[in-house]
Amino acid sequence: MASSLTLLPPAFVVLAVAIIMPFVSRRVGHGLGILATGAVAVWSLLAPAGVHLPVSFLGFEAVLFNVDDFSRLMGIIFGIIGVAAVLYSYSSDARNIQTAYALGYVGTSLGTVFAGDWLTMVFFWELMAVTSTLLVWDYGGDAVRAGYRYAIAHGLGGSLLMGAIVWHYTEVESFLFSATNGIAPGIPAALAAVGIGVNVGYVGLHTWLPDTYPRPHFAASVFLSVFTTKTGVYGLARAFPEGNLAIAYMGTAMALLGVIYALLQNDMRRLLSYHIQSQVGYMVAGVGIGTALATAGAFAHVYNHILYKALLFMTAGVVLSRTNEENLKYLGNLRGALPITALAFTIAAFSISGFPGFNGFVSKGMITAAAHKEHLYGIFYILLAAGVGTFMSFIKFGYYAFFRDANRDWSLERAHTGQAVAMLGVAALCVVFGLYPDALFSILPGSTAKAHPFTLSHLGEGFALAALGVVGFVALKKPLSKVGDVPDIDAVLNPALFYGTRVLVRGTTDLFAAVDRAVSSGSYAVATAIADPYPTARRVAGALGDADAKDITTGSLRATIATSIVLVVVILGGYLVGLLG
Amino acid sequence: MTDALVLLIVLPIAAAILPVFLGILSDRAGWYVALAMSLAHLGLSAIVANAVDTSGRISYAVGGFQPPFGIELVADGISAPLLVLISISTLGVVVYARRAGPHSNAFYSELALLTAGISGVVATADVFNLYVFLEITGLATYALVASGRSPRAAVASLKYLFVGTIGASLYLLGTGYLYIATGTLNMASLSEAIVATPAGYASPTVLTGFGLMATGLLVKVAIFPLHTWQPGAYAESPDTVSAYISALVSTAAAYGLFRVTYTVFTRDFLEAVPIAADAFVLLGSVSIVAGSVLAVMQSDLKRMLAYSSVSQFGLVVTALGIGNKTALIGAVVHLIGHAVMKGGLFLALGVFAASVGARTMDEFKGLAAREPVTSAAFAVLAFSMVGIPPAIGFIGKWNIVVGAVEAGSWSVALVVVVSTLLTLAYFGRVIERMYFTHPDETDVADASVSADGGQPASDVSFGMRTVVVVAAVTAVLLGIAGSDLIDIIRPALEVYFV
Repeated sequence: MASSLTLLPPAFVVLAVAIIMPFVSRRVGHGLGILATGAVAVWSLLAPAGVHLPVSFLGFEAVLFNVDDFSRLMGIIFGIIGVAAVLYSYSSDARNIQTAYALGYVGTSLGTVFAGDWLTMVFFWELMAVTSTLLVWDYGGDAVRAGYRYAIAHGLGGSLLMGAIVWHYTEVESFLFSATNGIAPGIPAALAAVGIGVNVGYVGLHTWLPDTYPRPHFAASVFLSVFTTKTGVYGLARAFPEGNLAIAYMGTAMALLGVIYALLQNDMRRLLSYHIQSQVGYMVAGVGIGTALATAGAFAHVYNHILYKALLFMTAGVVLSRTNEENLKYLGNLRGALPITALAFTIAAFSISGFPGFNGFVSKGMITAAAHKEHLYGIFYILLAAGVGTFMSFIKFGYYAFFRDANRDWSLERAHTGQAVAMLGVAALCVVFGLYPDALFSILPGSTAKAHPFTLSHLGEGFALAALGVVGFVALKKPLSKVGDVPDIDAVLNPALFYGTRVLVRGTTDLFAAVDRAVSSGSYAVATAIADPYPTARRVAGALGDADAKDITTGSLRATIATSIVLVVVILGGYLVGLLG
Repeated sequence: MTDALVLLIVLPIAAAILPVFLGILSDRAGWYVALAMSLAHLGLSAIVANAVDTSGRISYAVGGFQPPFGIELVADGISAPLLVLISISTLGVVVYARRAGPHSNAFYSELALLTAGISGVVATADVFNLYVFLEITGLATYALVASGRSPRAAVASLKYLFVGTIGASLYLLGTGYLYIATGTLNMASLSEAIVATPAGYASPTVLTGFGLMATGLLVKVAIFPLHTWQPGAYAESPDTVSAYISALVSTAAAYGLFRVTYTVFTRDFLEAVPIAADAFVLLGSVSIVAGSVLAVMQSDLKRMLAYSSVSQFGLVVTALGIGNKTALIGAVVHLIGHAVMKGGLFLALGVFAASVGARTMDEFKGLAAREPVTSAAFAVLAFSMVGIPPAIGFIGKWNIVVGAVEAGSWSVALVVVVSTLLTLAYFGRVIERMYFTHPDETDVADASVSADGGQPASDVSFGMRTVVVVAAVTAVLLGIAGSDLIDIIRPALEVYFV
């Protein structure tokens, strides 16, 4: 049993489905996708811990399937959400090719988290960037440009990580995780921190996130919201198992700035995207704090966040597909028209905001408690403040989309059965893990010994934050509704990138053209001289003042009989001198 | 059984005389004599090869005088494949010559004489006897080159005559030095007698003898810069002759160099006098690069192939200088492979010249469309020469490179890689024109008029094309059977490594 589970990496199964996907019917393809991702979840749960499938990859020792607490958790949640997302895609009329790209993205993400060494990890890491870019591009239109920016960002991040790993190898002489505890300190660590930082969306490196995720097909957004950032958190935990205070502060900044920007958004998916940055900030902070409780909290938050964020993107997708409206300002009163979606949204919103009884409350509380225990009060209070902001922005989302009275009379087709099943299933999980966190604790890395989610003070904290959120929203509703487009750092970055790339491309092209001209004319001259050396020889001889230069005609450079004999004598003489000398 | 060995030499000499008398009866008599001779030669070499295969080294004392006083003929795992190669090449060239000419009985006499000379060089185990056969080979070749009947052929032949005779004379002089030092001419006993001389390997007489013999043979092999006779001889002679001498003459000389270096002087000598082998590596490497560069510069295809031979024999001589088992295996394999490939390429050029009058690079434009079968064979042979697996060119080159790396001669490995690129360059140029360039209308119109230097284009027989295709197929099959070939060669080489 154990060996049959470890015979091949789960990633390959999903990738195989991705490859056959375009050649089968929609029903069969998506069915296979659900089976494969579901199998991955079960498989991850059952696979025994340890290193499986050590191979030689590009001539180095590598491990394709490494099971420990970290990778098991990632495998389970990636599998679960894969099932929901594929089902959702199927009932959202996603084309096979789109789901094929999405499954490719899932498969490479699985490859990344199940890698047992840095080389395999970065290999799949880069492939993940490629497959997700394809998933974005597949939609066409605006998504293509955003996809380019996405690809550039991840190309840079991946290259930095690769640099870190190569440097790590020269110091450690092994790619295996087991060889060291985390990545080699010094420059490799710095490169890795920044390279992974692109994936998790450090403040300043995050612009690709709200830029890309709102643009593709709404079912593609569900996939996108799950894998890249969370794989980044996983990578960060691998690289910095002991934590790092600077990373913890970066995570805190992400949590706060992300939520502030989210509050200012009116585009549903853009709002949710900023919330990814904010929520991932909690996880990064947890990894950065680095205690057993913090690590457990970070991964619990990875797990829970995947559930409710995917759910939020699903509900936003249903709203978007039914109303053709992405802007909250023009929505409203949808709870009657889309009751199941409204219900799922409400559960997801409570979860992400950290309302007691829902899963976000548990994991967020673990991280803040860890910060408190380490006496990192700055982090603690900022994370609490970000929690208030989260409440506010989801009250805003819910109010504008579902609950306020709008003058529009929606007569909409309801969510498809598949969409409803996916949403309600994930919503149920949010509630289950919120009420019964021990189910999650049993599979977490780190230690949950000090996690006590349902103490009175914690519960009070949760309710207080919620109350503050309500008050804050009511107070700020008017000014918020007047805020137009708020410039993010990409207002500077994107033009800089665009013109910078343009200068680079034009510069390179012109330089290349100049070099090309020089080389081709030069080599043409050389080729001519070689093919018919006599005119050149005449010119050279003439320039050297040889009066007989004009006598050099075709064939006259060939050795005469006399020259030949001289050559024989010279070689013989040289050889004999060498032998006898 | 061992009589076959001496018959391999006697038979062609006898056959060389016949056309002169039979010519009275018929102008075509020479061809039939040559065909019969080559078939019989093939049979004899098969017998010899079979004997070697079953009982290893076989030896024949000429005239019943036992070595070391009598002349000894020897066949082993190295010379037997070469003897078979000689037979097959002769047969192929004779079949090809039926239509391609030259149509004279004198030509067939000279061809038979050349066969005798080359067979003798390969079979003999006596250094003076080797000189005699080298001279027979040389004289027959001078005459064959001159059978081109153009003034330039006469000049090329004369140049070859002078330079070649000097080379042979140097070899003879070296043989004399060795005889003075040791009092024997038999290769095997020389190897013992040289060590036994008072000064051993340090003896100036022995060293001078080696220098003279090696230089003389290097002239015959046509190593840069001693190659000057070779491009003219290959390019100005009739296509049939070019193919035959390019396949076998330098090959026989290189084999002679191998025998003299490793049987007569042995590896102990090379270890005691490192410069002897270093000179091989140096001259060979220079030859590899210079030959390739000169080949790239040519617009006449036959000259290009001639310079290509300078480069390929540079490879063989370099391998002799490296001197480990792998490199020597590579050298022998490459001798055989080069003969098949270069002979086939020259015969293909003959077909092109005869059918469409194409002789220069520009005239090769679009040739593949007009001569598809021969073009394909040419391309196969060219790629084999570049060293693309699985053809025979790869096997030889590969073993030589591996041998160089084993010996730590990275520079040689680098030279071989560079020359491979250059080889690709000059053959690539031809193949690009044959397959990917459209001929100009005027070229097509002119071709039949200007073909063959003003002579009307003769038509091409089925037999001519068949021989070219067989050469190409052989190059590939030999490559596929490369490890079997190496198994035949290896035991004969082990002798030098005990």
